[in-house]
Amino acid sequence: MRDDRVNLLCKIVAIVSFLFLIAPLVIIIIASFTPTAYVTFPPKGFTLEWYEKIFSKDTHFVDGFMRSLQVGVIATVVDIFLGVTASLAVTRYDFKGKGVLLSFFTSPMYVPSIAFAFVLLQVFSRIGGVTGMWKILLGHIVIILPYIVRNTVAVLTTFNWTLEDAAASLGANPVQVFFKITIPLAKPGIVAGSLLAFLYSFDEAVLSSLLSSPKFVTLPIRIMNYMELTFDPALAAVSTILIVISLILVVLMEKFAGLDMFLK
Amino acid sequence: MAVLELTNITKKFGDFTAVKNMNLTVADGEMVALLGGSGCGKTTTLRMIAGFTEPYAGEVKIDGRVMNKIPPYKRNVSIFFQNYALFPHMTVFENVAFGLKLQKLPKDEIRSRVEKILTMVKLTGLDKRYPRELSGGQQQRVALARALVTRPSILLLDEPLSNLDAKLRVEMQVEIKRIQKETGLTTIIVTHDQEEAVSLADRVIVMNEGEILQVGGPKEVFDYPATPFIADFMGFSTFLHGTVEEKGADGGRIVCSGVSLAVEPAELKTLEKGDACIAAIRAENMEVAEGFGQNVVGGHIRSLTYKGQRTRLEVEGCFAEDIYPAIHDYEKTGEDGQILIRLPKEKIRVYKA
Ligand SMILES: Nc1ncnc2c1ncn2[C@@H]1O[C@H](COP(=O)(O)OP(=O)(O)OP(=O)(O)O)[C@@H](O)[C@H]1O
Ligand SMILES: [Mg+2]
Repeated sequence: MRDDRVNLLCKIVAIVSFLFLIAPLVIIIIASFTPTAYVTFPPKGFTLEWYEKIFSKDTHFVDGFMRSLQVGVIATVVDIFLGVTASLAVTRYDFKGKGVLLSFFTSPMYVPSIAFAFVLLQVFSRIGGVTGMWKILLGHIVIILPYIVRNTVAVLTTFNWTLEDAAASLGANPVQVFFKITIPLAKPGIVAGSLLAFLYSFDEAVLSSLLSSPKFVTLPIRIMNYMELTFDPALAAVSTILIVISLILVVLMEKFAGLDMFLK
Repeated sequence: MAVLELTNITKKFGDFTAVKNMNLTVADGEMVALLGGSGCGKTTTLRMIAGFTEPYAGEVKIDGRVMNKIPPYKRNVSIFFQNYALFPHMTVFENVAFGLKLQKLPKDEIRSRVEKILTMVKLTGLDKRYPRELSGGQQQRVALARALVTRPSILLLDEPLSNLDAKLRVEMQVEIKRIQKETGLTTIIVTHDQEEAVSLADRVIVMNEGEILQVGGPKEVFDYPATPFIADFMGFSTFLHGTVEEKGADGGRIVCSGVSLAVEPAELKTLEKGDACIAAIRAENMEVAEGFGQNVVGGHIRSLTYKGQRTRLEVEGCFAEDIYPAIHDYEKTGEDGQILIRLPKEKIRVYKA
């Protein structure tokens, strides 16, 4: 009797929170089709005009998208190498200061990005001549690394290292062991971490707004700049596209990271 | 197809010495069993032979060549892991074929060899399953197949049959022995089970706390353990404290709790008259006697446990210590629980106390 009531309460809370999270997204998606010059809900009719607008030259959204993609992909690829190497180092070997090293690799996660951006800005101005692209890229490489390290370490801490020995005794050299055993088994963590890292980089705004140059502007900054001047449903349209992309990536992540058979 | 030599190998984990100064030579095509209690260094020894860890001191030699610095993948030593270590992301077939693929064998040959070995371990039809879809005993046999299929020069088996039912266990013992003999594989098998050790191996090595206590033929170790400790480990159930009463060329006697027992003169070789000694006998070697005679003692059954073919008794009152005979086809004698037990002279081992 009492259990049922608790159960019901849990269900209600779950549904309400879900609606609370999903409702704004649904409203934005629907509102992006309104023909009015301002965002309104429910939409007064249907048009794809705003989608045309975001793909037109004068909003620079496509340009921003490409730049964000470029930064996100390069930063993620670089960090897969750095992150996987770091994760293997801290999980495989027992050494003094292991915990400290792990906290070091994940520290950017805890430092406010505004503070971090400030520091980077100082460094870059000292060096001088660093282009906008490089500034943002280097900044992102640092701030997204923790996502890859954390997820990979989580998988590797439960890793059965005897499997590497087994492969070696069957004639696999260290390179073969790495690519046939270690990487495939760590893959769920690496994939999940990489997708999270990429998504973080893709819509990162604080760091990028301070580090971007007029020549190199990523999508979130383009959107913020646009918002300062106009507030039309084109914003809803571009948000819709971002929501869809994130959704696809999250589904992909679930598909890979959800395969817990590899974790056994 | 290889001679294995361990000279003075020692392994330390921090301050703890897991293997102490071990010396062992395994001849080409020989099968030896490593027998010893939990934590005595059996797995550690195998890991040094396979090359996963380097000895702290001493040398591992294969065919006369020092292997200490040679990585595992260049040793051609196959190992069955105590925890199986099957690759979870590969099917049974892929697990078994892993080593063959690395040898770059033609696909057809890989397939036929994998199928053949899977038939041998009675796992046909399971080749597309993943390890997590198999029972413990099935996983164990996949691991066994994987270790055997690559035709290594040395095979290391770390408790390969511990998870199997009695029938399957015996079948697998026969198969392992057959393959080992056919291919002349130099093999070390680790086991907790003394009967498995003596039935499979050409030689048995008894270890304790990182040291070898006794090396010998199966019969020798089984029937003539070198110390009471080994005797206990080899399944001797009854230990009696006593003194040597008489030592002669054709007969010896010892006295345990006032009872005089005849023993083989050979047992008293290192003892003198009046020396304190310990007599040991295996449970199955004691028998019920119809009347008094040589080495027959009377006692009272305190408890009895039915164990299939044999019944294990706990008999008090014969000596200061209780004795534990396991009697074949035991039938209850007398209502009062009195019983006569014979300790056959040739089955009694005598040790210096
Ligand atoms: N990596 C390690 N670090 C520290 N101690 C270890 C390590 N590996 C093994 N030991 C210790 O060394 C001793 C021998 O271990 P080993 O695994 O060789 O035992 P074993 O004879 O195989 O036992 P079992 O029959 O239970 O498998 C044990 O006391 C164990 O705790
Ligand atoms: Mg072990």
